[in-house]
Amino acid sequence: MNPRAIQRAVLRMLYDPGFVAAIHGARALPGLSEAERALLRRVDPRAFATDPLRQARAVQAIVEEFPCSAAALGLARVEAFFASREFLACLGDGGSMGLAFATWLEDQAAGAGRIEAAMARLRRPVAQSPVAGTLRCAVNLAPISAPAGSLAWYEATRAWLGATPLHTLAEPADQAPRAAPPRRSPVRSRDPGEEHLLIEIGASGEMSLGTASEALVRLLRHAQRARTRRELEREAVIRGAAADEAAGVIDDLLAQGLLVAG
Amino acid sequence: MPDFRTRVARLPTLGLGVSTEYGASVAAGALDPAALRREHPDYAGFLEVGVEVVKGLDDAARAWAASGAPTTYHFLDINLDDPEDRDPAWLAGLRGLCAELRPAWLCGDAGLWHFGRRERGHMLLLPPVLIAEAVAPMAEGIAALRAATGLEVLPENPPGTAFVGDLHLLEFFARVAEAADTGLLLDCAHLAMYQRLAGHAPHDGLDHLPWDRVIELHVAGGRERETGGFRWIEDEHGPELLPDTWAIAQLALERASNLRAVVVECERNPIAAVLPLFARVAAALPARLKAVPKDRPA
Repeated sequence: MNPRAIQRAVLRMLYDPGFVAAIHGARALPGLSEAERALLRRVDPRAFATDPLRQARAVQAIVEEFPCSAAALGLARVEAFFASREFLACLGDGGSMGLAFATWLEDQAAGAGRIEAAMARLRRPVAQSPVAGTLRCAVNLAPISAPAGSLAWYEATRAWLGATPLHTLAEPADQAPRAAPPRRSPVRSRDPGEEHLLIEIGASGEMSLGTASEALVRLLRHAQRARTRRELEREAVIRGAAADEAAGVIDDLLAQGLLVAG
Repeated sequence: MPDFRTRVARLPTLGLGVSTEYGASVAAGALDPAALRREHPDYAGFLEVGVEVVKGLDDAARAWAASGAPTTYHFLDINLDDPEDRDPAWLAGLRGLCAELRPAWLCGDAGLWHFGRRERGHMLLLPPVLIAEAVAPMAEGIAALRAATGLEVLPENPPGTAFVGDLHLLEFFARVAEAADTGLLLDCAHLAMYQRLAGHAPHDGLDHLPWDRVIELHVAGGRERETGGFRWIEDEHGPELLPDTWAIAQLALERASNLRAVVVECERNPIAAVLPLFARVAAALPARLKAVPKDRPA
């Protein structure tokens, strides 16, 4: 028997009542032998439901990291994440709940979601194998494009949420002694155009956000995979640089630390 | 390295102590370990500090360590059976904290402290899967952590409401102790939970334990709960011991021939509320664990 497979199943049973029922059901379950399943069946199914705050604690962690996305979606929708295949995969493969949420978000929370998903990825940099002779976007930098107005809405909403976003979102609107939330959610806006942003994480984990030109953001996004200098110069030209300026553009980005050796 | 039964002679006798974890002592109505040591030195011979490396030590733990009073280090963030969990950054943090605390040993629940990587929202505590195949990975992790720190690592039986596996909890930990050649921390309250859930009497299975490996005991109050008709025990760390916990503790105090330390876990209660519990445990300690006047802090 594989103790890790059993442990993963126990973990899923804590969050997914449907899986508890499946363990006790008739259908075969991939990844679990009949002997392993028999051990799980010996445990009273109610034993997996003794902690009513388990999901609430997970929601709190998500809301603290993705406060504006949660504001855009609403808490009920955030809770739906815990039944998603992204979350269940995260339990099964030992992944990151924050990254799983970022993946699950996709465009559900529009610009705020893109901003906070990019921040989540910056907090968890993936070690890259160096590729000799290449350059890439610095790992402390996320170039993103989002619907126009996203940064302003993000900043206004973040300020409105205050130090305890979950408390703010959970409080009934008619009992909240504070200003109404920012009204213009990019989630609902139609074809607002795009704005282009650079997000940078500092040594202590602090984030700085700012707008940038579309050309710069697209060039840096192109450089999120290791590229040769020639490839980047070609991309710079596609993004509007004159052919005889491209080498200087890349030199400048290297000097500013926006591009680094791959 | 000498075997555990030789190494155990070098472990200090700490007597009766109290536990804390980050921020616990500053909560309203919580126990202040330093005050307990001042007012009742026999009850606070040492401080067991619950630590997540990412959080470090709070002011109370730092002050205790700076005073030179004894400590033990209770980890709250290592899945012992997972080699990837002993990553270099975590180990470096652990060594730094040990340098500050100078603990007599490391100890902690040998279970699943977190799923995936260490992140906010990933923390939980599940007992190990009680099957023969889970023994070796746990034992290897204990031996590796001992080698990495130069300190004894005492696995503790964790709490839980869902214990999966065909081995008795104590048989599992007996096998782990033998395979890792280590000592054990027996949490009497956690064992009472398991025994109740498994339909055992409090003393069932106690013969499985290699009692000369039991170095530390935990004693704590619990609360009987019911969820949808399912009866279980909450690890409340309150001042009222369940009778099952006390029955286990009394037997353990008789049998654990190499016992060095007993912790009363009650960190979120005011001192006045837990004095009767400390008095009860202190009265039951074997003479070699009781503080003598020269041991008392000035």
